[in-house]
Amino acid sequence: MSLLSPNEGWFHKRVAKDERMWIIIAFVLCIFLFVWMVMWHAFGKQNPSNTTYKTSPAEFGKLHDAYVKKHMVGMDNGIPVVKPEPGSDVILMAQMWRWSPALILKKDEWYNLHISSKDLVHGFSLQPSNMNFQIYPSYDYVLKFKPTVAGEAKILCNEYCGIGHHTMIGKIVVIESDADLAQYGYDKLSAAPAAVPATPEDISGWSEEQLAKAGESVYNLKGCSACHKTDGTSLIGPPFNKLYGSKVKITEEGKSKEVTVDDNYIATSINEPQKQIVVGYEKIPMAQLELSANEIKQVTAFIKSLK
Amino acid sequence: MFRTCDITGFKVDLNSEKLIRLNAVMAVVSLLLAIIAAILLIFTRYQPVHLLDAEWYYRLTTFHGLNALIFWIVFFEIAGLYFGSTVVLNQKFCSPVLGWLSLILMVGGFLLVDVMVMIGQADVMMTSYVPLKAHPLYYLGIILFAVGALLGVSLFFANVVNAKRDKNVGDTLPLFTYGLVAAAIIAVITLATGAIIYIPTFLWSLGLIDSVDPAVYKLVWWGLGHSSQQINVSAMVSIWYLTTFLALGGTSINERVSRTAFFLYILFICLASAHHLLTDPATSSAWKVWNTSYAMYLAVLASMIHAFAVPSSIESAQRRWGYNKGLFEWLAKAPWSNPAFTSCVLACIGFGFIGGTTGVIFGMEQTNIIVHNTLAIPGHFKGTVVIGTTLTFMGITYYLIPLIFRRKIVAFKLAQIQPWLFFFGIAILSVSMIALGQLGVPRRHWDSTFSGGPFTHTFNPSVDFFWTLMMLGGSLAFIAALIWVLQVVVSVFFGPKVNGPEDMQLPISPLAPAAKEHKGYEAPGTLILTILFLITFAVLFFINWKWLAATWWVK
Repeated sequence: MSLLSPNEGWFHKRVAKDERMWIIIAFVLCIFLFVWMVMWHAFGKQNPSNTTYKTSPAEFGKLHDAYVKKHMVGMDNGIPVVKPEPGSDVILMAQMWRWSPALILKKDEWYNLHISSKDLVHGFSLQPSNMNFQIYPSYDYVLKFKPTVAGEAKILCNEYCGIGHHTMIGKIVVIESDADLAQYGYDKLSAAPAAVPATPEDISGWSEEQLAKAGESVYNLKGCSACHKTDGTSLIGPPFNKLYGSKVKITEEGKSKEVTVDDNYIATSINEPQKQIVVGYEKIPMAQLELSANEIKQVTAFIKSLK
Repeated sequence: MFRTCDITGFKVDLNSEKLIRLNAVMAVVSLLLAIIAAILLIFTRYQPVHLLDAEWYYRLTTFHGLNALIFWIVFFEIAGLYFGSTVVLNQKFCSPVLGWLSLILMVGGFLLVDVMVMIGQADVMMTSYVPLKAHPLYYLGIILFAVGALLGVSLFFANVVNAKRDKNVGDTLPLFTYGLVAAAIIAVITLATGAIIYIPTFLWSLGLIDSVDPAVYKLVWWGLGHSSQQINVSAMVSIWYLTTFLALGGTSINERVSRTAFFLYILFICLASAHHLLTDPATSSAWKVWNTSYAMYLAVLASMIHAFAVPSSIESAQRRWGYNKGLFEWLAKAPWSNPAFTSCVLACIGFGFIGGTTGVIFGMEQTNIIVHNTLAIPGHFKGTVVIGTTLTFMGITYYLIPLIFRRKIVAFKLAQIQPWLFFFGIAILSVSMIALGQLGVPRRHWDSTFSGGPFTHTFNPSVDFFWTLMMLGGSLAFIAALIWVLQVVVSVFFGPKVNGPEDMQLPISPLAPAAKEHKGYEAPGTLILTILFLITFAVLFFINWKWLAATWWVK
């Protein structure tokens, strides 16, 4: 009598045989599930890692830049490609909106992936294997992976990270031997670029050419390349070639006007990406990338050099 | 001021009745907003139509989540708590002034949140994981709503205590109110957790605090996000017992067992926030295993106990009414023309077979790897919150309209098929979302062709079939929900007045007669049904672990 108080003696009523049977079955199932989860740690091959390091977005960003500079073997669609040694530590950075670098891994070898975010919370979703992990800024999540299937895998982002969330997709190629590289078009990757020397504080004496060369590396490392192409195709942002000196239509504070692309305009676009938006590219506003004044100067020189 | 109900004989406090009505109206408004957003979202994710642009897709995802999962459910629960602590106990509402204050705070919070989302100041999803930042007024709106709800829950407790003092209730609360007490206790824990996380986040959005740690945020936020769904479970199960009583005059075959199960909910169910952190850094496997299993699955045990106790209360009452032939005559001859009863039974089936099975499997530490943040997760909670809680709340409304609003239900024939339409719509939607998720499709994702990305990914071709199925199921559910909303609104505002028992379209059953003999087995049909459930669970369990074992190795 769920609307009335129960009858006298309800507390001492015997539990019916069938109900007692069911409760026992249910309890056994509960214990089974618990033990199963614990046992999978001993016998199963898929267990979330227990290794995490505290870091910061800035620190991890530096780690990523240094790692990619050192190990890059080429570029694939604006994403640097790295072929790490089996058993080595690999840096994988999530950033609005790219996974960097792309990886070439060997089947049946272990790799220690250090994954962290440069900005928001992201979701690491490895497809088609379908393995999903949560990636935070400030936490370096160390996942030891052993690819068991050769082929091309993608890393989707499955945690909402802003308007360009759906464009955030990375790549992992799993090979059995170097001969397989050809089928992914990875045999013709340009040779590893010569190590770029660390940028000194004072670059006032640099030639235009030196600046442009350093700018190209900033373009690849800091993520410009994910949205701005150099072959005239427009992806999420306007392409960089033939950009410098041209006239572009922009919207500023609701008013549209025409401006000439110069040093000043480029610096404003990087420092305050929402201020002047090029007509036709309103859909996916640019993310805030923190570049130093020197880096901006180098990128500008690089854009200038693209005829 | 009381009126005596000429149908049930209860003394109804008019202040309480007014507050119940207003909270229920707000609930229906929220649900209407939620389903309008839902249908637009479905036709955006259904790629051949791809209706909204990215900005509005994410905005309406946020809007849908808040209105469906928070506003609709909490407004309805506050109405339910007032009903369970005054009307059914013949009790006066302790403080109508505070009742109004609670309502004003909740409506204020509701308006603030919805407006901030719609003007594009809070495109942060319902979860608003930091460092994603919304306008400070958005967080303030949530806080106001939560404070209002907490006040409402306190008034519920005060009413129950007063009922004891005034001797309106004896030593033991009725089972329905007992279940609501469990829900209210869980609500206090939940809302307090919400305050712990939203207040610093609000201060951070104002610039008064430098940063909020993203992992700590997610841990504490789910103390609100998941536990609030456990209020629903408790409230929903209470309503299942209530419906059995109203429709058949029956109750749990052993009240001690049912009450123990509610008690287990209070003790263990809030640990479930760990379900959301299984593939995250920062907590250890030991922490994950212990918490995600509610300390060795003791809250799951509670749900399994109800899974027997609810259908067996129906079976036992039916057998005492004489439907005693074979194993299932009681089910075949059940009052299927009563939409409240139908809703309750369908909710119970959907919640168990879809929501419950996937909930336990997806909530295990390792299997979570193959579903975390995929479409399978919203698919799972369509099976719990929508088929379970929402359908149950829709069903009990068919009793509330004549008893509380004193109106007849307009187009009653439609009400009799509505639960079936909604059940099948959501079941198809839910199962196809789960299938899509297990094929890797992410949730909260505008474009599964990844246009504009440096690479692309093609899912298993069978996704096309499930996308179509999801669109069809979603459309059916949308129509069914719209029928319900229209029917409730038209009945409440324009329906013919109820003047006495002869105007009741849904019967209120007298108490079922006492059993003639005891053979030890009280509900053999139920036992068969629960064993069937167990087999379904076992099959899904092994399929999922098999899938997991086929992925890359990770440690």
